[in-house]
Amino acid sequence: MKPWLLPLISGLALGQDFTERGFLDTTGTFYPQAAPGDSGHALGEALFRYEAFYKVTPRLRFAGGIDARTDSHRQVEREAGLAWWDRNRQRTALEVRRLIATFSAGKLTVEAGKQFIRWGRTDILTPTDRFAPRDYLNVVENDFLAITAARVTYGSLANSIELVFSPRLTPSRVPLLNQRWAGPAAALAINEARPDFPGGPQFGARWNHIGSTAEYALSFYNGYDHQPLYRAALPTVQRFYPQMRMYGGDVAIPLSLFTFKAEAAYFTSTNKQSDEYVLYVAQLERQAGEWFLVGGYTGQAVTLGRSTQGFSPERGFTRAFTAHAGYTIDTNRSLALEAAVRQDAHGAWVKAEYSEAFGQHWRMTVGYVWIYGSDADFLGQFHRNSSAILDLRYSF
Amino acid sequence: MRALTGALIAAAIAYGQEARQIVEESQRRARANSQRYEGDLEVIGAGSKVSRKTWESARIGSFGNSKTVLRFTAPSEVKGVALLVINHRDRSSDQWMWTPAVGRDRRIALQDRSTRFFGTDFSFEDLEERDADQYDYRLTGEEPQDGAACWVIEARPRQGKTSQYTLSRIWIRKDNYVAAQYENMVKDQVARRLHQSVIENVQGIWTARRLEITDVRRNSRTILRIEKLAYNIPLKDDDFTVLGLRREQ
Repeated sequence: MKPWLLPLISGLALGQDFTERGFLDTTGTFYPQAAPGDSGHALGEALFRYEAFYKVTPRLRFAGGIDARTDSHRQVEREAGLAWWDRNRQRTALEVRRLIATFSAGKLTVEAGKQFIRWGRTDILTPTDRFAPRDYLNVVENDFLAITAARVTYGSLANSIELVFSPRLTPSRVPLLNQRWAGPAAALAINEARPDFPGGPQFGARWNHIGSTAEYALSFYNGYDHQPLYRAALPTVQRFYPQMRMYGGDVAIPLSLFTFKAEAAYFTSTNKQSDEYVLYVAQLERQAGEWFLVGGYTGQAVTLGRSTQGFSPERGFTRAFTAHAGYTIDTNRSLALEAAVRQDAHGAWVKAEYSEAFGQHWRMTVGYVWIYGSDADFLGQFHRNSSAILDLRYSF
Repeated sequence: MRALTGALIAAAIAYGQEARQIVEESQRRARANSQRYEGDLEVIGAGSKVSRKTWESARIGSFGNSKTVLRFTAPSEVKGVALLVINHRDRSSDQWMWTPAVGRDRRIALQDRSTRFFGTDFSFEDLEERDADQYDYRLTGEEPQDGAACWVIEARPRQGKTSQYTLSRIWIRKDNYVAAQYENMVKDQVARRLHQSVIENVQGIWTARRLEITDVRRNSRTILRIEKLAYNIPLKDDDFTVLGLRREQ
């Protein structure tokens, strides 16, 4: 018998620590206004997610999950097959959400496989979160995408260092050109050429310190921007993902009334079409009674502008005041309000949500997203996409 | 007059020392290297609306230097949400919450500890350990609880101990030194009352298996039933870290 099979078999024999969870989520989104290139007023989506966790031995664990989805608006592919790399234009109907093996021994933890890696401390914008591409098909409602990587963490509670190596870029998913979230571009007759994905790997390191009075981290990333720039030879455009290097830091300091959080990152690139810039966030956070309040400012300073057209919600959400307020009505019901308002008032996004749980498994959420502004503003360009949302979820 | 004052002070000091000794004896008898249990929670809201939750609790160490991880196992939508509490002898605990849905941990700031923990009537502060050294004690009398004779002790947080409560009254049973009830006051009003009952001897440690906490101001209460309780089991210190929270998902 292979020696490496022993712990697996012994774990199975003991039936140790197997847990699972998941949900079936159905969402209806209703747009009062038609948008350029997209006259649809209603969108229906369904997502089934299953995740399983298995602790083979105290040192070795596996976690895996799959997503199965469909929709009424062709944001989801209709082809069958299990996807892994998340490089498709549309969402895939069946996808490995994650599959990861975790080995830990003392202060060392090694995680390998398709996984979620979150860096940073702030909420609405996290400039140092470089291994966290997102699904931006509906720009303002975005989920994270897992990446394929090896992650090594060494350290204690007070100090830890993390090294991440990813052999291949997982890009953020961008809006479909024939749909309303492409903004004014949806009205143009544009052909999209096959994207130019980079071939090289990505690497990152983060040192994190937890002290009694503050937590802070320094981070470094060398790889590619997961948000694309465009090469244009109209009517044809092509996405490409420029080289990126990031130097970042984040801090959280509990003060007497609020917790102060800040995060900043400086981005450079060897690509002659890519800007060099600084993104920064400062926010105050407070939990008081049934309220959870966050307010802050997101900023950007361009140190070298090259004016290439791109799609970057991260930069698009900067130069804005952001706020989040949550109120727990009782153990089953809650209210939430989120907002981002550009400092020049040319764009604003406000989301209000009411959520109620029924029994042990069901939750209903109703909400309204209001978007205001001008076509020239990143947020404002989606002003025809204000929408009402009804979501029903069965969790297990 | 001076003699009377001196006698009163001496009596007060003696009562204070006696109160501390009772609390220390209570903690000594509950001492274990580790503890694990499954908690079944019933949250009964002001409108008698009932919701159920379950969590698994693991603790390593004992009073003064213990670490605890609470991880929800139900309802399904909060499965995996976890809280790490690291207690200190000389100051308030450090706490982090892990939310798998966002894949990030969040430190619970001291000023946020009066907030209810995930829809239960326990506040974050109620989930930390009460080390004897962080309070001044005074024995105020005797009063039975659930038919058992108890000492009634007042505990005031010492300077340096951040607490939402200005004063706690603790009923400690004389027969087994288990705390039968806590009344936690904000100014002169009772804010939360924790009643501990169904006291059983588990591996030589008298332990309350039913905890009922009432948020008096909200008129809401949570009953925690402790199942599958075990002491002195092998646990790894590395699992009681922020990284450990993430590893366990």
